[in-house]
Amino acid sequence: MACASHVSTCKLEAVLDKNMKILIVDDFSTMRRIIKNLLRDLGFTNTAEADDGTSAMPMLENGQFDFVITDWNMPGMTGIELLKAIRADDRLKSLPILMVTAEAKRDQIIAAAQAGVNGYVVKPFTAAALQEKIEKIFERIDAQ
Amino acid sequence: MGEIQNNKDHSLYAESLRASSPELIQCLQANDMDGAIAILQQVSLVREQTLYQEVGRLTRALHNALKDFHLEIGLDGKLDVSNELSEMVDARSRLNYVIEMTEEAANTTMDNVDAASPRVQRLVERCDQVQDIWAKERAEHGDEEYSAVSRLLSMISSEGQQVQQHLQNILLAQGFQDLSGQVIRRVINLVRDVEESLVRLVKLASEVEQVAGIQSDALTDINQKETNVSEEGPYVKGVSRGDVVNDQDEVDELLSSLGF
Repeated sequence: MACASHVSTCKLEAVLDKNMKILIVDDFSTMRRIIKNLLRDLGFTNTAEADDGTSAMPMLENGQFDFVITDWNMPGMTGIELLKAIRADDRLKSLPILMVTAEAKRDQIIAAAQAGVNGYVVKPFTAAALQEKIEKIFERIDAQ
Repeated sequence: MGEIQNNKDHSLYAESLRASSPELIQCLQANDMDGAIAILQQVSLVREQTLYQEVGRLTRALHNALKDFHLEIGLDGKLDVSNELSEMVDARSRLNYVIEMTEEAANTTMDNVDAASPRVQRLVERCDQVQDIWAKERAEHGDEEYSAVSRLLSMISSEGQQVQQHLQNILLAQGFQDLSGQVIRRVINLVRDVEESLVRLVKLASEVEQVAGIQSDALTDINQKETNVSEEGPYVKGVSRGDVVNDQDEVDELLSSLGF
């Protein structure tokens, strides 16, 4: 019944596992909290946080994560480095990654795509944009 | 003014060259190379000295500029780096303070959104439940009061959903803290780089001053430093300003001790 008024949410439910484990990587705790809350609104409550790539990598290696949402510009290990490290790791290389970042240069987006990012959202973003990108990523993965 | 200075230096150099030229020509004609080289060296010495003086003037201007930035040179003219940089460090701390304050504000806002959101959600859910029961009652009785309550219930439900949407927008708007924070961090790095370059410049300046024989007026700088009471902005944690009050109670205490 709830689906009648929330068509997009319904579609999301059909495609996505609401229990999937998501790692949010951003050096700003404010942004981690925003993303975490938005994910919760979308029904994803199984989330964890890391403040840069260096702390994210060991979590990913041990944590059985299903999805990564990462910022680009972080001290220590940046998002693009994290992306490359994940793609270079045999056990992690197929992990879907969404980049949510203020870096909006064409070259950067291309570089992220070449490094194998699954989606790219530019800050400031809307809840709808985040939802749409997550949906698209998993639709594409399902189609494979 | 720089151009006039430049012309003057240039003419000094030209004049010295002109003055030496008969002697130089004589040496060259007599094939006295040692003599000619000595004359040329003397002429370039004049040029070097004017160059030193010009660099000296520039460094003095730099000193003054630094003084205007409240960068203090030690009494003996030597560099007291910690003292020198305190204001720069202060600038960075202030910027860090802005990041901290905006983070705190964003978190307070999100705390309130987190508190409000489930309440509205419960309200809407409860309202929807009652709406179903009420629809049955209304079907049985069909009175005007029943439909008025129905309208109220559906209004609460739809308004509640609108409020949820606004709460989500408020949450998203807190992203400003991340975006402004990133910009501020860049400025902090810039200030740090400028600071390091200035230290190198000041060190260089003191060496050049010695060579050029310009007297440092660091002593008078310090003496001229007045005990002005100027605005400093909000208290920045981690920046020692000596005498700082910690909270409103201390402010009140201080004021009452002064007879207010």
